[in-house]
Amino acid sequence: MSFSLPNTFSLTRALLTALSCLLLISCGEEAEIRSYEIPTEYTGPVVTWELPDDWGENPDISGPMAGSFHVKTELGPMGRIGVMPFRESVSSVDVANMFGMELGQSRMDEDDLKKISEIRKIEGRDFEWISLNDQGQDGSTRKILLALFRNEGETWLFPFIADRDLIREQEKNFESFLASTTLRAGEIEIRAKAPTLPPPPAHDQHGAPTWEVPPHWIKTSASSMRLASYEVKDRNGSKLDFSVTSFPGDVGGTLANVNRWLGQIGIDPVEESSLSKYVSPIVLDERDAQLVVAEGEKDALYAAIMMVEDRSWFFKITGNRELARVEKPNFLNFLESVCFH
Amino acid sequence: MSTEKDIYTNKKKKRNTLGQRRKKFAWLVPLASIRLTLLLLSLSMILVFVATLEQVRIGIRGALAEYFESMYGIWHYPEQFWGGDFLNVIPIPIPGGYLLGGLLIINLTAAYITRFQWTGKKMGIQLIHLGIIMLLVGQLATQAMQEESRMQINKGESSNYIERFHGVELAFSDVTNPDTQKVVTIPQDILENGGTIRTADLPFKVQIKHFGVNCDFTVTPEGSKRSALVQEVNRGVGQTANLTISNKEEDFSSEGLNFGYLVFELFDGTKSLGTWLTLAHPGGNHWWKESPKLSDLAFQPIRHEGKLWGVTLRSEREYLPYSIELLDVENEFYQGTEIPFNFESDIVLNMEGNQSRRALVYMNTPLRHDGKTFYQYQMNAAADYTVFQVIRNPSWLIPYIACVLVSIGLLWQFSFHLVRFLRKNSNSAQPA
Repeated sequence: MSFSLPNTFSLTRALLTALSCLLLISCGEEAEIRSYEIPTEYTGPVVTWELPDDWGENPDISGPMAGSFHVKTELGPMGRIGVMPFRESVSSVDVANMFGMELGQSRMDEDDLKKISEIRKIEGRDFEWISLNDQGQDGSTRKILLALFRNEGETWLFPFIADRDLIREQEKNFESFLASTTLRAGEIEIRAKAPTLPPPPAHDQHGAPTWEVPPHWIKTSASSMRLASYEVKDRNGSKLDFSVTSFPGDVGGTLANVNRWLGQIGIDPVEESSLSKYVSPIVLDERDAQLVVAEGEKDALYAAIMMVEDRSWFFKITGNRELARVEKPNFLNFLESVCFH
Repeated sequence: MSTEKDIYTNKKKKRNTLGQRRKKFAWLVPLASIRLTLLLLSLSMILVFVATLEQVRIGIRGALAEYFESMYGIWHYPEQFWGGDFLNVIPIPIPGGYLLGGLLIINLTAAYITRFQWTGKKMGIQLIHLGIIMLLVGQLATQAMQEESRMQINKGESSNYIERFHGVELAFSDVTNPDTQKVVTIPQDILENGGTIRTADLPFKVQIKHFGVNCDFTVTPEGSKRSALVQEVNRGVGQTANLTISNKEEDFSSEGLNFGYLVFELFDGTKSLGTWLTLAHPGGNHWWKESPKLSDLAFQPIRHEGKLWGVTLRSEREYLPYSIELLDVENEFYQGTEIPFNFESDIVLNMEGNQSRRALVYMNTPLRHDGKTFYQYQMNAAADYTVFQVIRNPSWLIPYIACVLVSIGLLWQFSFHLVRFLRKNSNSAQPA
């Protein structure tokens, strides 16, 4: 078998021809945008809405919040409107108390709630309408308007937190916003949590004290109402919540505050004359203060109240009674470390 | 019985046929050059040598991508070799696997056409040539068509999609309808090109700002600024978790984890809806749920015109017309070691038409269905999930056929010559 070998020119021609052939056969598939439908995989909540023209969306949505908005005003974004899906049918009293506490209100019961709530029909849906006014700060005009919608055991909460004039002005917009909503609960568990309130009237942060906490207290995120927040857990899963808050004035006085706290751990309110059962004097950072010690059947509460330059300071730890007893020495050590400089 | 004249006429006819064919395909004759074959084989050896050296530096996948799955690669002489200090800086182009493989196919095919003679003497050679051509074509087809994916299933659950090991896509899902979910996906190639993407399937435009196949990401330390890549991000997890990222080269090593990232802005007409950061988890975006702060990376909500869309950058996904349910998992280790002895997944394949098939998938015993092969890949018995490596290779049979052809060709060729040799010997041994 014999073949004549091509010369150099033939070899070059061979390579060029082969390369051309290769280019022709190597034309690849072009990437393209695909669109298709599948059975729904998404198990989270579905909430959609159409915003009124003079509302804007807050970008910082997290945790249980499905949506967060503000009202566009000449002075900039004002107020805060939220969308919170709850997995279970939550009690209106609990929701009202959750927000009411942040406004310095004492604990409400069913009868109290009836006085400040009504049923409002919007586009064929019944919304529970609850109005809460700020009781915590003198001269405050803050208000919380809560709209609750219930559907087959699920609850949707729409809090509108703003100055009361702004709420009055925007009530129609709030209603049209509620009318535009599509609401579908998800399969993923969603825990209820109070939304962040709009910042209270600016106060001087320079007077804030310093303190030391035990290393096993876990810092959690502070809010506009909380200057510091810690969580204490034990191996059984029991928890304590510790907070430092400060407000101008006496915030309703010691009796109102103590009774509100007692209500939170299931203890009946007391008269002024019986206050000493839970409150005793204490000295913190060379200033007079009050120590509150209250233990209910399951929960306990230890707190210190002190006035510094016309501001009330609250240091409070509350939660599981057994764990609270264990942590009591740590709490008292913490109080000793508080220093206003 | 054929006469000497008949034999002579037949031979002449065959020569004429070959001559006519060579005349007809004259342009193929230079391509059938043996010099070209030798040149290409020599270059293939250089390619294998260089890629083997580079495999140490960039891993198997890196060497495959750089030298074999390309037309050419650029090689730098290793620094540690003699004269490396000077020679390392010179970029040396190396012909890639696609180029050499393609040229070899053309060369062999040309030789096959211009020299093919269906005679007993040549049949073995032709079969060997045909087998090698099939082997090369099969390899090229494998490179072009083989897809490697994974399927993760939790115990007691089923899955109907697979995700590619390499390549991501930006997926928008409209979940407003309670029954069906509309999905629009933009593949990596389009994301890499950047620019603004418009499609009738989406109610907004997507402007690509930054895209990369790998990054380092972290929560921005207090008092620090976010990196330039994410400074514009003002929506979604990137904003709420205050994430900062830095671009990273793709890690080709087998243990390499590549977190793809994309920063994009959405527009409704000319109005900006915000800028988002999205990250793709190399193990699948369901892993983001393990991290509370980043869990929304699997579904960042975008509400627009009364609809809820979720957006995520995820491994390229393919939905299957069937699903696999995981009944149980079992793993065994060699006694006293953590070396796996056996991984086993007890599954039910739920096919269309309410048909189902139960199967056991374990090491070297995959499940084959509808052109895909499901190999046992990873397992976590403690967490009760299994991961299959899913291979789709339509040309998987070609190498087997090619090997059979080459074997028959070799057997024929050797046998033919052996018989002729033995005949000749027996003829010459006969007494005069």
